[in-house]
Amino acid sequence: MIEIDHLTRRFGNATAVDALTLTIAEGEVFGLLGPNGAGKTTTIRMLAGLIGKTSGEARVADCRIGDPATARKLRGLVGLMPEEAGLYPDLSAARTLDFYGRLYQVPAGTRAARTERLLTMLGLWDRRDDRVRTFSKGMKQRLTIARALINDPPVLFLDEPTANLDPEGAKTVRDFLLQLRGEKRTILLNTHQLAEAERVCDRVGIMHTRLVAVGTPGGLRGAASARATSIRLAAVTDAVVAAARAVRRAEVTVSGNTLTVPVGQPERDNPELVRAVVAAGGDIQFVSGAVPSLEETYLKLLDGERLDGEKSDRNDKVAR
Amino acid sequence: MNWQNVATIARKDLTVMMTRRSLRIALAVLPVGLAVLFSQIIARGSFQRDSLPQTLNAFLFFFMIYTGALPATIASYSLVGEKIERSLEPLLATPASDGEILLGKGLAALLPPVAAMWAGMLLLMGLCDAYTHATLGYLYFPNWMAAVTVLGLAPLLAIMAVGFSVLWSSRVSDVRTAQQIGTLAAIPGAGLYIGAVSGAFSLDLATLAVMCAILAAVDVALALAARAVFRREDILTRWA
Ligand SMILES: Nc1ncnc2c1ncn2[C@@H]1O[C@H](COP(=O)(O)OP(=O)(O)OP(=O)(O)O)[C@@H](O)[C@H]1O
Ligand SMILES: [Mg+2]
Repeated sequence: MIEIDHLTRRFGNATAVDALTLTIAEGEVFGLLGPNGAGKTTTIRMLAGLIGKTSGEARVADCRIGDPATARKLRGLVGLMPEEAGLYPDLSAARTLDFYGRLYQVPAGTRAARTERLLTMLGLWDRRDDRVRTFSKGMKQRLTIARALINDPPVLFLDEPTANLDPEGAKTVRDFLLQLRGEKRTILLNTHQLAEAERVCDRVGIMHTRLVAVGTPGGLRGAASARATSIRLAAVTDAVVAAARAVRRAEVTVSGNTLTVPVGQPERDNPELVRAVVAAGGDIQFVSGAVPSLEETYLKLLDGERLDGEKSDRNDKVAR
Repeated sequence: MNWQNVATIARKDLTVMMTRRSLRIALAVLPVGLAVLFSQIIARGSFQRDSLPQTLNAFLFFFMIYTGALPATIASYSLVGEKIERSLEPLLATPASDGEILLGKGLAALLPPVAAMWAGMLLLMGLCDAYTHATLGYLYFPNWMAAVTVLGLAPLLAIMAVGFSVLWSSRVSDVRTAQQIGTLAAIPGAGLYIGAVSGAFSLDLATLAVMCAILAAVDVALALAARAVFRREDILTRWA
């Protein structure tokens, strides 16, 4: 549905997006993660036909981006929730959706029915005739989602859909995203919220001008960090630590009464580890897998990327 | 060009505009107030029968220049307003083309002030006729010069003000500056005013026709320039 091939965008001398290559399948929910200035918004804007590319190619819903012949068609097939709401404070919610529906050439009957359905689903139907000026931030955010869906687009771009929302507001939006996922729409969403990406996305990509890593949230975590086993004991003794260290020949960390030991394959290594700890006189209370969070993975991958970047900068200087 | 999109955008802008009380008041009060004021000067002043026609023409002309600041104010308000609300991005994401958006917004900025100018001019002409009929012995308005002023110069001046505002709006992003643009757009009008008062040119049919031709040429140039500035890429990456 979305095929991106070495897509690059420069602003003057600065590269915002560097040779991004990525394919997103129909019906997939893909999350683009990355720090401020990573090029996420620039990517979405290029794919939605709002700004041009410097080089590379991309096809969205079978339209080549940057092709004047299909530019109008492309914009008609895409729904966009931009970084900033950009609502008209003096229009009502219903009038807002009607306005955009007309511009997407949605017939009057469908427009009215869809407005009712979207506003009802997003909890705004009772406020449909109130001016957007009187809406809370969360209500505005939900209205921008409704606006992005008024043309029933097969492809949806969401730029930080839960930014600036309180936990409850974020949950409402997230639940709606999960609902959209059931409708077989292709969704590309930008976010800083790793927990959100983990819950909503089929795959995530970590971006920092370049695409640093791509995979399922679980897969990325596994790839980036070795696994570890945590053992909680009644008391941690030197004998226990020595025993654990002897089994795995690895750095063992102790925090309170918990021992964390890196393991290669938990299924193979844990029984031996537990036996050794028990033999050393340890009273085991709990054993659990210490899976790194997506956040840890993310920070680790970005750190690696920054180091690589510095290295190549140095190499550049040496070359010059 | 999809005219339905143009109409949709113009209608939306008009709706938004009419929710602003200050604009509604400006559109209603300025033309009516000026028409009443000008006609009172005619009614109370002691004008010679011979000089009256020239004075009446000049008043209609000045009326047009004073109200010419309205479209600039409204156009810059509407464009800068969209910039401040960041609403141009979702608008540009729709299938509507740059030209359709520009034309829709331009028409919305043009129609209310031109309608208000026309209403004010009709009122002014009607009141002047009522006050001067006895002195002149005939109804001075309507006449050819008035027709050229009302139907030619007034809309051409308004188009110029709107084109000018589009160009400036791409550079500024606060309403205060946008409103100052309204004042700037009055400069050509003020030039005409000074020219007429100082006698650099006389207000006759030929002069008005030349002014129309010059304004039309300026309008075409401004429209082309506005079209060149209003490109989605630049709006999103450079206007902010
Ligand atoms: N119009 C522009 N002119 C110049 N540079 C720009 C422009 N737009 C973006 N950039 C630069 O491109 C880079 C990527 O910006 P972008 O907005 O795509 O990042 P982002 O990942 O969306 O960040 P955030 O999480 O803060 O929204 C940044 O370094 C930014 O300064
Ligand atoms: Mg962004």
